[in-house]
Amino acid sequence: MNWIVIIWSMTAAASLTLAAIHFLVWWQRRTAWAYVVFTVTCVGVAAFAGCELSMMLAESPEQFAVALRWLHIPTWVIVVSLVGFVRLHFRAGRAWLAWSVFALRSSAMLLNFLVGQNLNYREVTGLRHIQFLGETISLGVGISNPWMLVGQLSLLLFVIFTLDATITVWRRGDRPLAVVTGGSIVFFALTGMAQAVLVLWQVVDMPLTQSFFFLGIVVAMGYEMSRETLRAAKLSDDLRESETRMTLAAEAAGFGVWIWNLAGNRVWGSEQALRLFEFPLNAEVSFDEVTQRVHPDDRERVATARDRAMRSGGNYATEYRILLADGSERWIASRGRLYMSGNGKPDRMIGAVVDITDRKMAELELAQHRNELSHLSRVTTLSELSSSLAHELNQPLAIILTNAQAAQRLLAQEPPDIAETRDILADIVSEDERAGEVIRRLRALLKPGQTQRLPLSVNEIVEDVLRIARSDLIGRGVTVHTALVERPPQVLGDRIQLQQVLLNLILNACDAMTGNPPTQRHLTIATTHHNSKVRISVSDNGCGLLVEPERIFRPFYTTKQDGLGLGLPICRSIATAHQGRLWAQARSTGDVQPAAAPPTGGTTLHLELLAGAESKQ
Amino acid sequence: MSENNSTIFILDDEPGMLKALMRLLKAEGFTVQAFTSAKAFLESYSPETLSCMVLDVAMPELNGLELQEHLTRSGLLLPIVFLTGHGDIPMSVQAIKAGAVDFLTKPVKDADLLRAVRAALQRAVEQRELILEIASLRQRYNSLTPRESEVMALVVAGHLNKQIAADLGTGEHTIKVHRARVMEKMGFEALADLVRAGERLGLRSGR
Repeated sequence: MNWIVIIWSMTAAASLTLAAIHFLVWWQRRTAWAYVVFTVTCVGVAAFAGCELSMMLAESPEQFAVALRWLHIPTWVIVVSLVGFVRLHFRAGRAWLAWSVFALRSSAMLLNFLVGQNLNYREVTGLRHIQFLGETISLGVGISNPWMLVGQLSLLLFVIFTLDATITVWRRGDRPLAVVTGGSIVFFALTGMAQAVLVLWQVVDMPLTQSFFFLGIVVAMGYEMSRETLRAAKLSDDLRESETRMTLAAEAAGFGVWIWNLAGNRVWGSEQALRLFEFPLNAEVSFDEVTQRVHPDDRERVATARDRAMRSGGNYATEYRILLADGSERWIASRGRLYMSGNGKPDRMIGAVVDITDRKMAELELAQHRNELSHLSRVTTLSELSSSLAHELNQPLAIILTNAQAAQRLLAQEPPDIAETRDILADIVSEDERAGEVIRRLRALLKPGQTQRLPLSVNEIVEDVLRIARSDLIGRGVTVHTALVERPPQVLGDRIQLQQVLLNLILNACDAMTGNPPTQRHLTIATTHHNSKVRISVSDNGCGLLVEPERIFRPFYTTKQDGLGLGLPICRSIATAHQGRLWAQARSTGDVQPAAAPPTGGTTLHLELLAGAESKQ
Repeated sequence: MSENNSTIFILDDEPGMLKALMRLLKAEGFTVQAFTSAKAFLESYSPETLSCMVLDVAMPELNGLELQEHLTRSGLLLPIVFLTGHGDIPMSVQAIKAGAVDFLTKPVKDADLLRAVRAALQRAVEQRELILEIASLRQRYNSLTPRESEVMALVVAGHLNKQIAADLGTGEHTIKVHRARVMEKMGFEALADLVRAGERLGLRSGR
């Protein structure tokens, strides 16, 4: 073993080690092509060192010539892979220059095998032995091959290409990459080239030591690659920290985070999420287990919201109850978003859950209060109508009595009039049903009830209310005009509450007309629909609004001596609870009008509701 | 009682009530005509028929009391029995003052209704008789000479023959002759009858 063998072997070994490491890195991240290119460069450098060593240890001119010929294979590999590395890793360099380097270097290799003993010597005529690093080594002597210019030109072009790419990187602002890696490649390539020119044109007596220069390049590249690896590691640290921060923030806000993996149908939940659903911590649960926790009455709604998000590829938001092991219920708000995989298929949903039980309870309590208040107002309104309603009940009773007495007489006749009596009995039955209907309607209005949301026709509401108010309207001498739109879309609402609103509007309209002479009291009720809105408009031709329109919706504003001033505010709260609107305006010529009404004066109140039977929850 | 050639008009905006009332009155043998609005009734009504009316107070457009007022203003003497779902005292007082026969509240007992209807028809008959009597009186009165009318007016006013003679500037005997002619033409024998006839013809107040 001499020093020469040791140093060149170590160079090769170092290169191979780097090659192995970066090959393994590439194996883990197949998309990182720069690593595999770097690996190829390293292998090339190792082979190059091997060839150089055999040249120095050559015992005959033939051996020297053969080793030098084979040297051009690793040279080609190194140059081409370096061009590839610069293009891949620097994301710079002119393509035409790259291709020129490739073409020239390939030509050089062809010439190497076609012209003379190798690219550098037409013929190696002999060997000279000189002392180098304290050892005796061989140097070739012979006739230089002029084609070697092609190879040296390719190296020059390579230096230019790299320099150009480095300048681009510098300008781009990545100074460390430009200085350390780009600068090293240019520097070592230039010095290596210079030495090769001097040695191979037999100007100086020394062996080729280009593997050192290549090693310099490889080390610079390796530094750059490790910098890259460090960046990735830091990124992963940052990611972990940001995750921790997010978890902390989520926990502080009471949010639980969940990820639903569609492929495996598994759900990962943050601690908070798992705690909320009372799942064991640090456990992944199946989607079905989560569904099991949802209150049976709410499962369909949750499924609908989820399917909608899946179909539209958008956001998911719903509120539902969960049933816990001890039988208690919690209200949960869940929000999420669907994420697609690379091929555009739904991949997973990520979202957050939060316990909204307290808010829901408050909402329910509020709704309860609203119910009670609206019930109170209903009772008050109906008490205004009580004498008319008594009449409404009295009428069928009177008809029944008179019919029955007529029947008694008809049966007492000789012969008794059976046919007429039969008709009478039929009428008695229908009048009795009518009375029953009045009572049923009244009971519904007087009963304190839970709010319901059912699809309703606004026209039916108008007709129902007019039936209740009929006697009162006649008694007040009010003429009613209706203009109902045909087949309006249904609205989702509470029949009783909407009847209550309309009844209030009608009675208010009547009150506004008490100053008119009896033949000039016109009440118009119109239903209209436009886009997704359905509207009931109640117009009178009375005294008009004496204050700004909004004022009448304020609590305790009243024009009646014994009024509480709560009717319209409650009506508005009912409208709002229906996601609708209630407002007043001076009656305008645009409204539906009875022909007999004066063209101006009076007020119109509009109740606008959302069309369509789709629930918001 | 001339129930056979009399008609009872019923007016109620509630068809069920109208039908029931018709049945009851028809079962009692009355001739009945039913209307659901005052307008329809006024279009078909002729005062010649011996009739009375059962009238609902609460009706859209023209209500019962307004119809009564309208009839009175038009000089139509139609006895009215009011029926109401919810009547109050001021309303009934107004109706009775305006000449209503009765003011009944629904539900109404058949006996009450029939009694009221019969009373109304009775009044219709009386009114008719009165009208006929006045018409015949008027006819006879018109046959008097101007001088005889003057004498009759003063007799009805309670003046003695002597006073009348002085008033008219003639002899007591002449007045006696005029007076006998008046009694004869008017068809009375007793002075009291002439005085009552004079009142009916409006002589006392007319002067």
